[in-house]
Amino acid sequence: MGFIHRYMQGVRQALWLTKSSLIHGLPSHITSPAAVPENQLLNQDERVQNAIKHARFWDTTEPRPKKEKYSNTLLHNLLHLCATLQPTHPAIGRRILAENYSLAASWKRGDDLFQVRGQNGLLHCSMDPLPRVCGETEVLETSDQILESFYPVSPTIDLQQVNVYKEEINCSGFREGYPYPHAHTLYFLETPDSNSKLRPEQFRAKMIMFTFGNALARAHKLYGTQSVLEHPITVQAVGTNGRIFQFLVFQLNTTDLSEDDGIKNQVWLEEDVELYDFAKVRPLIKRKEVKHLEMF
Amino acid sequence: MALKCLTRTLRSLTLSQPALLSSQAAAQPKLGAQVPSAISLYRGFLTTASLEQNRTLWKNMDKYTIKPMGMKKTGGRDHTGKIRTRGIGGGHKQKYRWVDFQRLRYEPSKEGRPFEEKVVEVRYDPCRSADIALVAGGNRKRWIIATENMQAGDIIKTSAVIGRMAVSANEGDAYPLGALPVGTLVNNLEIQPGKGSEYIRAAGTSGVLLRKVNGTAIVQLPSKQQVQVLETCIVTVGRVSNIDHNKRIIGKAGRNRWLGIRPSSGLWKRKGGWAGRKIKPLPPMKSYINLPSISAN
Repeated sequence: MGFIHRYMQGVRQALWLTKSSLIHGLPSHITSPAAVPENQLLNQDERVQNAIKHARFWDTTEPRPKKEKYSNTLLHNLLHLCATLQPTHPAIGRRILAENYSLAASWKRGDDLFQVRGQNGLLHCSMDPLPRVCGETEVLETSDQILESFYPVSPTIDLQQVNVYKEEINCSGFREGYPYPHAHTLYFLETPDSNSKLRPEQFRAKMIMFTFGNALARAHKLYGTQSVLEHPITVQAVGTNGRIFQFLVFQLNTTDLSEDDGIKNQVWLEEDVELYDFAKVRPLIKRKEVKHLEMF
Repeated sequence: MALKCLTRTLRSLTLSQPALLSSQAAAQPKLGAQVPSAISLYRGFLTTASLEQNRTLWKNMDKYTIKPMGMKKTGGRDHTGKIRTRGIGGGHKQKYRWVDFQRLRYEPSKEGRPFEEKVVEVRYDPCRSADIALVAGGNRKRWIIATENMQAGDIIKTSAVIGRMAVSANEGDAYPLGALPVGTLVNNLEIQPGKGSEYIRAAGTSGVLLRKVNGTAIVQLPSKQQVQVLETCIVTVGRVSNIDHNKRIIGKAGRNRWLGIRPSSGLWKRKGGWAGRKIKPLPPMKSYINLPSISAN
């Protein structure tokens, strides 16, 4: 039971606010390269297992590392493993990690003005924009889909109302002339604050909103507001709690968000992917084990 | 010691006052009565700490919230600290969920129109016998008293419109008394329009709308007492939830203690004139209309 009362609708509300349609599962051109041996590391299984063991067991002087610590270490270890592929994939070298930058994006939806503000955890920014996921025809098809109605609950329920003094704030967090202006992938960890713990549904909604905010800030800078984009902007996101991962790809097709009809944006969401089942410490037998590693 | 000095100076200050009064009131014959009252004007200092700390100050919140609040138990004690009501004390800790008894509460921007709300959850409330329901509509959520067949996902309607035809009301909806057909079971009755419901809120109770007389309506309460109220008072339709509440068996003394009920005195006392079954006529109908013609009756 507990706190089901906050942010009731979760992902569905986020989809309405960003005027998007949801597709379960990641696009095929992202998942298919993983099986190709050239894209895999040497001793991939063993190295990933070592990364998990380091994050979950070895990284502390206390018996067990805390959750916020091990999820952070695990993410950085996995990012490092991916970065070691740079000799074969030079595009990795054109990306850089940025932490704790402030994002501000605002848009009008009907009569109300909405804003996404905040400090993201971790961002991969790159010199080149991500290629679009969906072709023109599929984008036009989304205009036939209807946004979900939450009647009698208004879709703006549970959002914080603030007074706005400067309208149309759009800031991607970086100044002009930054060599890596395009947001590539966002990484979300769980907040260490136990009072504001988000359930998985709300965590995914938070991922969608921040990915949308990043894409929108970029679009406003390039193309201005209230228009359909010919070159859609794509941003990816990964969220984790240390064991379970959520993957998200967001394609911004339009910044014309005032009406409910027309071309929609698109969200590809892969939920609740487990990296490993459990990581237990068994002091009696003096053995530490990691069970059932999933290949990816 | 210092306290006594202070009280002595205070007494002297107050005694100096009647000197002024006596000069002004020299012409008045009430001079003799002033002097003893001057001594009674002086009050000592209160040396005990404030006894207000156990009162319901935890309830002072201006903004409505659905989050459960921690509650302070009184143990039957009043503001002086002595037991005013026997038999209350102990029991499981309870968190207070702020129930909105004014069913017809419009949202700040949407005054005057009938609105609908969706029931999100129906749950047990430790503070009352009925169950409470979390309803969400527009941009806000609130707790209300749940009616008998209310379930998560229902849509309930609240309206203040009194049409010429009586509305066929569904259970859980809230209408003014003037809009309902005679003979409907109602609960959460408002005595004065807009004040919030104060009657018929316990588990399984329901009142009956008996008749409608020009601008007023007459409702029979669960105690068979009849009450005349204005027809613009809002009621909800149906019986209150948790209807088997009166059929439960406590089973053991411990369960009563968990509910916060302390044992009564075990001393045998002869029962007086208050005991035994009474068969009396119904008390006269109570009217809450404040019309000059009615108060003359």
